[in-house]
Amino acid sequence: MVINKALGGGRPGIPLSSVTASFVLGAALALGGCASAGEKPAVAQANPADPYEDINRKIFAFNDKVDNYVAEPVANAYKWATPEFMQTGVANFFTNLKNINVVLNDLMQAKFQQSAADTGRFLINTTAGVGGLFDVAKHAGLEQNDEDFEQTLAVWGVPSGSYLVLPFLGPSTARGIPGSVFDTAANPATYLGGIGVPVSVVSMVNARANADGALKFIDEAALDPYVFTRESFLQWRQNLATDGKAEEKNDLADLEGDLLDEATASGDAAKPSAADAKPAEAKEVPEAAENKTAPEAQDAASAEPVKAAAVSLVPVASAQAGSTHSQTFQDAKSQYEKARFEYQLLQAEGAKKKARKTRRAK
Amino acid sequence: MVAKQSKWAAVLVLSLLVPVTAFAGATGGMSARAVVEKFQAELIEVMKNGKTLGYSGRYDKLVKPVSESHDLVKIARVVVGKEWEKLTSEQQDKLVDVFSKLSVASYAHNFKEYGGESFAFENEEQTTRGGVVVHYLFKVPDEKSHKFDYWLKEKGDSWRIINIIADGVSDLALRRSEYTTILQREGFDALIAKINEKIDNYSKL
Repeated sequence: MVINKALGGGRPGIPLSSVTASFVLGAALALGGCASAGEKPAVAQANPADPYEDINRKIFAFNDKVDNYVAEPVANAYKWATPEFMQTGVANFFTNLKNINVVLNDLMQAKFQQSAADTGRFLINTTAGVGGLFDVAKHAGLEQNDEDFEQTLAVWGVPSGSYLVLPFLGPSTARGIPGSVFDTAANPATYLGGIGVPVSVVSMVNARANADGALKFIDEAALDPYVFTRESFLQWRQNLATDGKAEEKNDLADLEGDLLDEATASGDAAKPSAADAKPAEAKEVPEAAENKTAPEAQDAASAEPVKAAAVSLVPVASAQAGSTHSQTFQDAKSQYEKARFEYQLLQAEGAKKKARKTRRAK
Repeated sequence: MVAKQSKWAAVLVLSLLVPVTAFAGATGGMSARAVVEKFQAELIEVMKNGKTLGYSGRYDKLVKPVSESHDLVKIARVVVGKEWEKLTSEQQDKLVDVFSKLSVASYAHNFKEYGGESFAFENEEQTTRGGVVVHYLFKVPDEKSHKFDYWLKEKGDSWRIINIIADGVSDLALRRSEYTTILQREGFDALIAKINEKIDNYSKL
């Protein structure tokens, strides 16, 4: 079963304890209900890593249907019918089998110390853990590591290539395909002969059941489940490939840098409709139309109209506060106005300085 | 048990993400680490009383802690990317408003009970542009710990959380892709409608 490859064979070593892993894995399968997926053409390319977004969205929607009608009901039945200790045992069993592949990939990535620990983990759980049903090694301080061939390829310098959503398999990358082929080949569950099919089915059901919480979470939290899944998948894989060192590249500074660059690039065209859309406020805040970027970009006009605008915002805030939590949010809102006001003052100061500079230059 | 773990997965990555308000207040003068730890303590406290408080009780209790520890304005701006500049002031205000509610609602929904979880400080470092990143391990009994990295920027006389990276997944980057995509494909009203729908769902789940 292809789903099994994605969740069982294709991503060996995913620790059930790993929040992100199960989360993203879950995403690989179910891909929670993006009704509008693929319905509208992309206006702009949101992520350069996803050049096939339109087709990917269609497959994503297809996988979602498969999950809704097949995988989820089966997984629910499994969870209903199986005692929890047995579910844990089954999950431990398949995780343990993947450790052979983890050790191979440890070695290919020259992680010799980790490969020794992972070998020990496999041996302990296979023997004392009764064929892997019990995770005894965890109590001996041996954590489950997560290594696979796609990570090895990353370590060897192979670029990840485009993001792909595969039918049944879910999220992957161009680099992930050879990765999955190798991992499947290195998983003993692939060679079980006559009992291979039922074992694969159990593995698939187990994987789907484990991902259940994560999938529900995506349903609850994601505004665009396709993008949510793609971004978390790519970040998660990057983080695994670099053993957690990827976060340095996620530096907020870079994000901010991008933002400021973009804002600068958009130039005077930025926020063109502000004055038109809010004529009353525009009268008080004529500089709003020029208010291009962040507090760091100081190119507003004079301070007086800004103050007036900030004051005028308070009744707007009051009018908007209508929920059961209106009072609290009104407080928060007025504090926000304060922050906004301070920010505008800053801008105004910047503008004054700029004006002085220009005068001096003249 | 496994399902519970998966659930945490999700919860971690997302719930912390959501941004909230920015204003100088009770955290003025505190260090970045102190701001984070004050918030964590308040969150754990709400989790401990989660069942008796109920959803709306948790929501009410979390509004202030979330608002005081996060820089909502900055997060909202970064999350919609360059689209922020294309929004009218009214739309920007609206976005900040619903964003605040979504953030608190998400925490209130996901951190509803306490099972011995704790945050353990690892270390902290300066970023290249004057920010601070504080590294924690989120410890869940009988589970592998999760890495939590809080990015903070100075705002006035205090520090504010601007991003949370859970096991390598950056909330800010994730949200940014999601929100900008919706703005580009479906527009501002659709974005607000989707956020409101999520808030509504959280209150019912």
